[in-house]
This record gives sequence, C-alpha cells and structure tokens, in this order.
Amino acid sequence: MSPLLELKNLGVTYATGSGEVAAVRGVDLVLEPGDTLGVAGESGSGKSTVAMSVLRLLPRSAKVSGEILLDGEDVTAMKWGRLRAVRWAEASVVFQGAMHALNPVRKIGEQIAEPIRLHPPGGKALSDGEIQAKVTELLEQVDLPPGRAGAYPHELSGGQKQRVMIAMALACSPRLIIADEPTTALDVVVQAQVLDLLGRLVAEQGIGLIMISHDLSVLAATCRRIAVMYDGEIVEERPSAELMSAPHHEHSKALAAAFPTVGDPVSRFAPATSTPLPPEPERSADQPALLEAEDLRVSFRDRSGKRIDAVAGVSLQVRKDEIVALVGQSGSGKTTLARTLLGLQKPDSGAVRYDGKPVPLGGAGLKAYRRQVQLVLQDPTSALNPNHTVYEAVAEGPRIHGMGANEHEIVVKALEAAELRPAEKFLDRLPHELSGGQRQRVVIAGALALDPGVIVADEPVASLDASVRGEILALLLRLRRELGLAGLVITHDLGLAWNIADRVAVMYRGELVEVGTVEEVLLDPKHDYTKSLLAALPGGTARETPIAAHSHRRGV
Amino acid sequence: MTTAEKPGSIVWRRRREAVAKRWHEFTTNKAGVFGLAFLGLLTLLAILAPVISDESGLDVTKAHGGSLNPPSGEFWLGTDIDGRSVLLMTFWGARISLLVGFSAAFLSVLIGTIIGIAAAHFGGWLSGLLLRFTDFFLVLPSLVLAVALASVLEQGAMTVIVAIGVTAWPSTARLVRAQTLTIEGRPYIERAKALGGGHLHIVGKHVLPGVMPLVLANTTLVVGNAVIADATLAFLGVGNPNTVSWGAMLQTALNNGAISKGAWWNLLPPGVAIVVVVLAFTLVGRALETVLNPRLKGQHS
Repeated sequence: MSPLLELKNLGVTYATGSGEVAAVRGVDLVLEPGDTLGVAGESGSGKSTVAMSVLRLLPRSAKVSGEILLDGEDVTAMKWGRLRAVRWAEASVVFQGAMHALNPVRKIGEQIAEPIRLHPPGGKALSDGEIQAKVTELLEQVDLPPGRAGAYPHELSGGQKQRVMIAMALACSPRLIIADEPTTALDVVVQAQVLDLLGRLVAEQGIGLIMISHDLSVLAATCRRIAVMYDGEIVEERPSAELMSAPHHEHSKALAAAFPTVGDPVSRFAPATSTPLPPEPERSADQPALLEAEDLRVSFRDRSGKRIDAVAGVSLQVRKDEIVALVGQSGSGKTTLARTLLGLQKPDSGAVRYDGKPVPLGGAGLKAYRRQVQLVLQDPTSALNPNHTVYEAVAEGPRIHGMGANEHEIVVKALEAAELRPAEKFLDRLPHELSGGQRQRVVIAGALALDPGVIVADEPVASLDASVRGEILALLLRLRRELGLAGLVITHDLGLAWNIADRVAVMYRGELVEVGTVEEVLLDPKHDYTKSLLAALPGGTARETPIAAHSHRRGV
Repeated sequence: MTTAEKPGSIVWRRRREAVAKRWHEFTTNKAGVFGLAFLGLLTLLAILAPVISDESGLDVTKAHGGSLNPPSGEFWLGTDIDGRSVLLMTFWGARISLLVGFSAAFLSVLIGTIIGIAAAHFGGWLSGLLLRFTDFFLVLPSLVLAVALASVLEQGAMTVIVAIGVTAWPSTARLVRAQTLTIEGRPYIERAKALGGGHLHIVGKHVLPGVMPLVLANTTLVVGNAVIADATLAFLGVGNPNTVSWGAMLQTALNNGAISKGAWWNLLPPGVAIVVVVLAFTLVGRALETVLNPRLKGQHS
C-alpha cells in the first residue's frame, strides 16, 4: 500500500523583486495513513510553504519542483478539476487564526455545510435535511452543542471558533488534515482542549495529520513524529519523545530549549542564550516594595451598560531587584492591571504607590513618575513608529523629559545596555530594517534611556521567534542582575516565569488567586486555577504534581 | 555612516531620502506626472500673465474686436459680446481660478485637519461636540451656504475663498479623524504616553507626520473641487462681476445670447479649461494617494 502522502525532493522558490528566493529545498517526507507528523520551525523556515504546497495553495509567484504524491497521485501534475475534487474531499486544512478564516457574516452551520455541498459524498447532492444531520454530527464530534449551528463567528470564543474550523476540515471525511499553527492565538487551557480534540479525532478516524507549529511541546503532545525545518530544509526528523529528550541538530536544541519545562532545574534562571549570564549578585531578602498596588479596582462598562470588573481588588508588590511574573489567561485583567500601574488607566478605587509615595493622577507629577516606570509592549513591530529611526525612537523619552545636551551619549548607552552593539551601526536604521528581536531590543533601549526603576513588560516575547525569545528573556534577567532593574512581566506562558521570574502572581477574573515565589506557586500550586494552568501545559511539568499528571489532561 | 554625523543630520538625510523615494514612485505614474507638468506650466503662465499679455484687452471700453466674431487670425478663439478676445479672457481666468482654488483648498484643509485631529485625539465630550458640528456642516447644502455667505459678505475674491473654505472642510475633517484614530490605536502611541509624552508630543511627533501625506493628497483633490465651486459661484453671479473668471465668462455667454447665436467659442474655452484643470488636479491627487497610501498600492501592481 502506498503511503498517504509522500514528498520527494520538494523545492519551492518565490519570484520576488530581487530575484528568486528558495523557500523550501529538497524536502522528503512520508506520511502513512493514520500517522501524525509535526513540522516545527521558526517563521521563514518554510514550514507553512511545505504544508500549503500539498494542496497547491501557494501564491502564483511560487514555483514548485519535485514530486508531491497524495495517495500515489502527483498533485503538481493534477488538472484543475481533479485538484478541486482532491481539495477537502481527500485532504483539508485547519488554517491559522480562526478569527480571520471564518466568514463573519455567515452562520457557522452554513460554513460547515459549504464543503459538503461542494463535495457531496458519492458524487450526488444531499438534501438539506441530510446536510443538516451531517452538520449536527460534526458539531458533536468537536464537542460543540448542535444548537450553535445558528451562531455567527463573533458569538463564539476563540477556542470554539477553532473547533468550528476543525469541524469544517472534517466535513468531507478527508484522509489527511493539515493544521497550520492551530493553537497559536489560543490560551494555554483552550490550547490543551483543542490539541486534545484534534489528537482524539485523528486517532479515532484514522486520519493522517500534519501539524505545523513553532512550539515543539505542542507538537510532541499530538504527533508521533516531528520534523524540524530550518532555512527551507528538514534538519532532523525523529519520533517525538526521542527528539524532545535528546535533540541532535543545533536548531532543534534551540527550539527545545526555548520552551522550558516548568520544574526542570536546568532551565531555572537560565533562558536559552548564547552569551553567559552574569552571576547572581548579593540580594538582601527583605527589600522594600518599589512599585505597589493596593486594593486596585478598575471596571469597564460593556455595550449593554453592565459593569465589568477588569481588576477587582488587586494588591501586588514589585520589590527592588526582583522580577515578578503576572500570569493568567487572556481576559483575566492582567493588561488592564499593568496599564493602571503605569498611569495609563485611571483606577476606580485603590492606590498605586511608587517608592512608598502615591502616584499622582496627572500633571508634572505623573510625568516624573513615568520616568521611573517604563513599558515594553508585546509586538515591537507596532510599538515603534515606522517612520522614526532607531535613534529617534530611543531619544523620544529623553527629549520628552528634557534630558538635554548629551542625548547622543544617552542613546548609545541605552542601546549598548540593550545589547545592540555596536550602537552606532543601528542609529540610522528604520524599524522595518531590523529583525523582530532587534526591534524589541530598541523598545527596551527606549525604556532604559530614562533610567527607570521598574520595567513593565506586557508579553515581551509572545510575538518573537523561539531562538530570539531566550535572548530577550536573558536580557531582562541580565538587566536585573547588573542594574538592579525590577520587572513586572505579564505573560500567559508559565515557562517564561520559570525561566526568569523570582515571584509569580496568578490572575484569574480580575483577582490575584495566588502569589508566591516561583517554586512555591509552580511546583506546589494551591489554587485550582493555577493547577489547571499547569495541567494545560502541553509539555507537562518536570515534577508531576498529582493533578497535573497526564492522566488528568483530558478532564481539563 | 560616520560617527561624526550629527543625529539631526541623520534625520534630515532620512527625510530627503524618503522624499526622493516617493518622488521616484510618483514619476512611475504617468497620468500623475502629466497632470503635475500641466499644472506647473499653467501656474507659471498664470503668474506671468501680466508680463506676456496685455491686460488692457480685458477692458470693455478698450476692446476693439467685433461682437461675437468667430475665431480668426487675430482672435484665435473669437471674441465675446463686448468684442474682447476669448483667448485672453480664458488665459486671465486661470489666474483667479487657481488663486481661489488654492486658497480655498488651503483654508478648508486647515480647518478640516485641526478639527479632525482634535476630534480624534481628545475624545470625550469635545469629540462629540466637534463631530456633531462637522455633521451639521456636512448635511448643509454647501452651495446654498456659500451663496448665502458670499451675498452677506462684501464682494471680491476673498469672499469667494472664505465661502468655499468654510463649507468644504467637513469631508477633510472626517478623513483626518479616521486616519488619526488609526494612528492613535497603534501601540507606539501607548509607548509614547508611557514615556511621558503629552498631547503636544503625541500630536506633533506621531499623529501629524502620519496624517500629512493623506492631507496632502486630499488637498490636491479639494483644489479641484474648489475650482468647480468658484466657477459655479461666478456663474450664479456671486463674486466680483468685474474680474474675469471662467464662471463669469459662461454666465455672460448665457445671459447675452451667445448660445442662441451659436457662438460656441464663447462657451467651450472656459468650459474645457475648467474640465482640464480639475482633471489635472484629480490625476495628481490620485497619483499622490497611490504613492502615500500603501493600502492602495496593490491594485496597480
């Protein structure tokens, strides 16, 4: 029996303005029916191009060489009619970002029915009743109540939308499903549910699965084998457990190290970085609080005018010389809390104190306070004005605060502190000429230029590639050790907390449910919510707490 | 780059390069270049009109051509009812049309930009008030308002400029407000606030440079509209009857029976002039929009 999918010496080149760029070179892959394969790699490694080439979903500028055999039939040589029949009926795709891949003005039931209408099983059109029954069956398979068929995409949560995408992919009972970063935009808990669902359906129905992700632990949780791509080539392909425990290739090692296992002592205070970290300085255990929130409350009104407590009575301290990680799902109020601490959002009640003194709500006092507490945003691409050079971006703060004549010196010093060396080389660059990691360093340099006491970083590495992630985290840790810079890092990623934080605060529905040292909270969680967060980690934790054991993952 | 280069000069070099790049992109748009060249030539000729032609030919008392003579060797485009050269009148009409067009467009874009940025930046009750104010002007029939304004103010070019300027700004205000809202939603504004930047800093450093390209493209389109509005007002008899303008020429042609006598040379030159000038402004405006607004680029490549 021929394999379900076989790629033979696949090459894809894109024609761009400056000549041809090889996105994929000499890729060989084999997938047997019912097998699961993960493709890992950073952005630009060619992993999505490989996946999309299977159904010839590449843009016109792409040139494909080599063979793509789907059930022994070469996809590259197919006529349009045959290709149309193969698409969805034999192989289907779960696209990245369910919020954009669904049509916002059509009910999800109709959207699931669309492929069934286009590719009726057995070649004859189904009656409306039969289609309805099929949609109901599909919704049940993805654990959505059949009544939701009449809902519009905006009425569903992110996880539910991703389930709809999976139902659509399953609609024509394909033999191969290609999932392109199916969980990237989702929370840990929802991610665990979606991965679980996908894994179960594939196993039950004997469907072949190719899953693409930049996160090795996500792939390891669902796939039997993992192929690591780097610069258009497959550098390593082995069974998941083997690759996770002992990666051979440099790049696989970097990917594996970028997402540390919580509880693994090797990765504690050791983010993946190529330059060694400075030793831990002497720290007195009993520092006074530098930035402090006391019984902070912030509420918004939703469209119906109902009050929603985004932050409901939070007391939190960030001491000198420590990094506090604020973890929680999206919607838990952690970003609102950070904005309130920075004075960008007015609290309803409660107080923010810096160095023991209450933070003024406006005027010169607030401006002076903002020199002390600086913000690093999630997406460095949008956090920098695209028309401002690196110099202007870093000098913005000093100019606002009138820090005067030695501006050039301040900028160079800040860039060097953010490890952009030599600084002179970067001064006249524009943001689009820099890589993602370099942009984030510019944002950090902009904050450092004001010589702040605390940096508030909102998901500082969420939009960065795995290899850069470790370097940016190492930078934050280095700044803390060398300059005594305190940090409040907001994240949904418990591995990040394990990597660099001293203390963890877990936020759930506007309240802090658990605050303590990283070891206390992550290794011995007290609150149910913390436990469920830990249990949802795709890689599990190194020291299995009873509830976090794999046997319980289904129940999350 | 050498280390000796001053930061300020880096910024200026950047800006020069950006302008050069955009100019290069603009030159690839043939229609835009054509429109710009035409307008440049026309503006130059309009400025030089007193030097290269004789203004006395516009004086009815000194006109020596016959009434409504067809085009001939002496009068290339014929004469009007008073015996004046239509070519000379059309030529001089460009002066007033361009003057009113540019000034009125500048005035309306200035008002529109200030109100648009203020409405988007400050939010709250001020934004609501400004938006209602904009809506009010938007639904007013601007021609009627302009006629009313021009008739209560004293006659003259200035009146026409003000009348067009204060009625044409709402669309610019809407456009600028939308663009400002887009820019204000970007995280780098949040970063600037966290750095301690106030209103002046955010508007001056981030918002204004961001909206200027659109405003510039919009201005060229507004100039075209202002030229039409000017001609319309003159045609309706608002404005100074003693100045020669295209609208006034058309009005004279209509009132003095040039049309019924089949004197097409009284109608076509000012009419075609209006069309061509407005078309040129539109071509330049569209080309600028394509260069400056990245979202429109895909359609042309």
